[in-house]
Amino acid sequence: MTRRPAFPRRARFVLLLAGLLAGWPLRAAPSPEALFQAGVRAYRAADYARAAEAFRQSAARQPAAGTLLNLGNAEWQRRQTGAAILAWEQAQWLHPFDPAARQNLRYARKAARLEAPELAWYEVISTWLPVAWWAWLAGGSFWMAISAAMLPGVFRRRKATWHQAVAAFGFMVFLLCVPAYIGVQTRSRLGFILPPNTPLRLTPTHEAQTVTRLAAGEPARCLRTRGRFVLVRASRTLGWVERAQLGRICPASD
Amino acid sequence: MTARLLFSPDMKLKRQVRLPGGGGERGRKMLSLLAGGLIAAAAPLAAQTNAAPSRDPLMSLMLSQPRLEIPALTTATAEFDPPVVRPGEPSFLRVTFNALEDSVEWPATIAGPPGLELRPGAHGQMLKVSGVNFEPYTAFNTRAQAARPGAFVVPEFVVRINGQPVTVPSARLEVAATVPASVPPRLPLTLELPRTNLFVGQAVMARMVLAGRPGNAIHGLAQPQLTGPGFLVDGTTSRQRVEAVTQNGGSVLSFIYETTFIPLTAGRLTVQAQGFMASSRLSPPAASPGATVIPPPIVQYTLIESDPLELNVRPLPREGELPGFTGAIGHFRIGPPQLGTNALRVGEPVNLTVTLTNYGDAPLARVTPPPPPQTRDWQVFATADFAPVQPIGPPPPSAPPHAGAPPPSPELHGVLTFSYILIPLTETATATPPIPFSYYDPRRGAYADLTIPGVPVKVKVGAAPGDYASLARAAATEADPEKAPELSRLADARGRTASSLTPPQQRAWFPLVQLAPAAAFLGIWAWDRRRRYQEAHPDVVRRRRARRALRRQRRLLRRAARAADAPRFAAAAVNALRTACAPHYPAEPRALVGGDVLPLLPATGPSDRAGEVVRRFFAATDAARFSPNPASVAELLSLQPELEQVLAALEEKL
Repeated sequence: MTRRPAFPRRARFVLLLAGLLAGWPLRAAPSPEALFQAGVRAYRAADYARAAEAFRQSAARQPAAGTLLNLGNAEWQRRQTGAAILAWEQAQWLHPFDPAARQNLRYARKAARLEAPELAWYEVISTWLPVAWWAWLAGGSFWMAISAAMLPGVFRRRKATWHQAVAAFGFMVFLLCVPAYIGVQTRSRLGFILPPNTPLRLTPTHEAQTVTRLAAGEPARCLRTRGRFVLVRASRTLGWVERAQLGRICPASD
Repeated sequence: MTARLLFSPDMKLKRQVRLPGGGGERGRKMLSLLAGGLIAAAAPLAAQTNAAPSRDPLMSLMLSQPRLEIPALTTATAEFDPPVVRPGEPSFLRVTFNALEDSVEWPATIAGPPGLELRPGAHGQMLKVSGVNFEPYTAFNTRAQAARPGAFVVPEFVVRINGQPVTVPSARLEVAATVPASVPPRLPLTLELPRTNLFVGQAVMARMVLAGRPGNAIHGLAQPQLTGPGFLVDGTTSRQRVEAVTQNGGSVLSFIYETTFIPLTAGRLTVQAQGFMASSRLSPPAASPGATVIPPPIVQYTLIESDPLELNVRPLPREGELPGFTGAIGHFRIGPPQLGTNALRVGEPVNLTVTLTNYGDAPLARVTPPPPPQTRDWQVFATADFAPVQPIGPPPPSAPPHAGAPPPSPELHGVLTFSYILIPLTETATATPPIPFSYYDPRRGAYADLTIPGVPVKVKVGAAPGDYASLARAAATEADPEKAPELSRLADARGRTASSLTPPQQRAWFPLVQLAPAAAFLGIWAWDRRRRYQEAHPDVVRRRRARRALRRQRRLLRRAARAADAPRFAAAAVNALRTACAPHYPAEPRALVGGDVLPLLPATGPSDRAGEVVRRFFAATDAARFSPNPASVAELLSLQPELEQVLAALEEKL
């Protein structure tokens, strides 16, 4: 019987060590808070490009209203109107009670002569609360109403007035949440043009005829995607823009 | 009868009267009167048209200029300046043409010998006097640098000018450790800016210095200009002078050109200065019979350029911007406003003058006065004529500093005067309206307030017309505009966080979370239904319980049989028989006796072995419980197979 060479064991050890070393940078990656503070320092030193990069990385790791607000400010200082408006819209998406993002959007749109996106009535309602709240409110109120209507009978309790009141209240809240829930769904398809003078094409090809040109920060509603192009409805026009030229409020939602 | 007035080419009026049919005396008189009137009417016209025609002075000036003569034969020259340099020192390959710059198709790169680095430099065109005409003169510089000593020759190459090939001669550059004294050094053109870290829109004075040669030889600089992208040069503030500049411990007279430089884009900018250095050369006097003629000096132009200057330009921070900011960047102070009079009447205009003193190095010419404010009680107009003054030295008496303000520093660079016309609209006004004004101080990195304060006034009711009331109302509505939005400050904390920007309803786990309560309610419903069924069918529950109890008793009796514990075996067997029969009555199992069990046994034939087994077990247990001398029950252990059969039959009936 021949003895097996020791190489495989050594190789396993080396691979394990390499794996640990490779994993070390991941564990030592700066936290969103550290990136946020680095961005604030860079912004105060007027290094807006570095500040924007730090805020963007922090927001990518964990989106936060303050981070997105500062990202918008840094992008605005870099004269990146589209990116600034997108960041402030995302900040408002997360935290609609924050007056700073609203004020910055007004300021930027006035300075750049841009229009705010036209929202339907149910979309306006959906801006009254943070977007995540509507889903939980709708789900919670629905099941609360079901419980108040069903559980007393199951547990052979006599149906009291408060049971019925809770059920009615739950259903009422649920019905009120439904339009806002739909509004969140449709608002998530909003996007903003990032580069200035973005061509709006008639067909989803690079050789397509340009219908018009859109200014940076102009709102557009995504209708569908095809390859590298997105069919959008701008204020009064319909056409295709490249995906990279449109910043979506919800980057993950298609 | 016709009467015609004819104008001769020399604009003199002629009279021609023709009388048809001879006419009479009356007719002649009438014609003479008519002709006299016409002549009298035409006399002023004749006087006007008889004057010599005047030429357009601009046209005359243009016509008096020498003609631009483009030579038929284009010639090119090429030389290095200086022709001998030390290793690492720059030299310029200067190629000149007697052609217009636009007609030259200059190559992007020039092929040079190995070891000689060639980079494109400045290029320009000017018109130089040649005899009685102008001749174009175009120069292209190429920056050359060699790291090692040697002789480098740039071979001749062909350039197309107006589509025709023109050969540029070769040029030779010597790179040596020592430069001979006979080789004159290159006259350096220096570009100076007060600082290289600027803000977008910050005006600074750029200075080009062309140092003269020792011995106070001065060279002028024609067409000085700054080249590069992303900035603006305000030529209206340009000035030039000759000044003694200290150089290498000595003083040389230098030509200095100053202009206002304003960066327009943020980022790193590269600026370079260039110009045509003018140097005159005297020709030897020409001796002619009876007199010595000294010809005029020949002016030579050489395109020179400065080293490129790298600037770091940052955008102005939007954060902390104050009202009334009009783009002023620097360090300013504002003097007390001077009002024409403090006693006013409604509707009477008064002049307000304010002086802005510049304590920085920024030129004042680009400072825009603050816009007039909209107030309820005043109508304010900004006058267009504000007079910038640029004294060097202490502040003028007209601009005394604020009370308590620090004394002006010797950096004082100028004074600017703003004027406003104010009209009181109501007699309730007690002071002129403050005029918001601010500037950005790059030293402090913050905006500074320079609001022009109000001046106390007494306004009396004047002989103002009634429409001032409507003006006052209009001013009142304009004075309360919606507050202009401004960029917010930086958030100090991250604030509300989320795991993703995607709303919960679009995430995969959300339907599962919503299904959890649904599953719970389904379970509760099923449990309730089952419970209600059992309540409606209690025998089902009894039989199920009986089956459970029977299985338990059978386990006990098997365990007792394995342990050969006959009393416990008998007791467990009786209990099992009772449990299996109880649901059929229904009755409490303990209340049943052997007679209750027997009718439920399946028919086993005439021998009735099952009934016998049951009777024996019940008899043995009854004896064990009630007899004073119970018999041994050990033999019952042998009946276990029959008992199991009986119990299996009874279990089937449950």
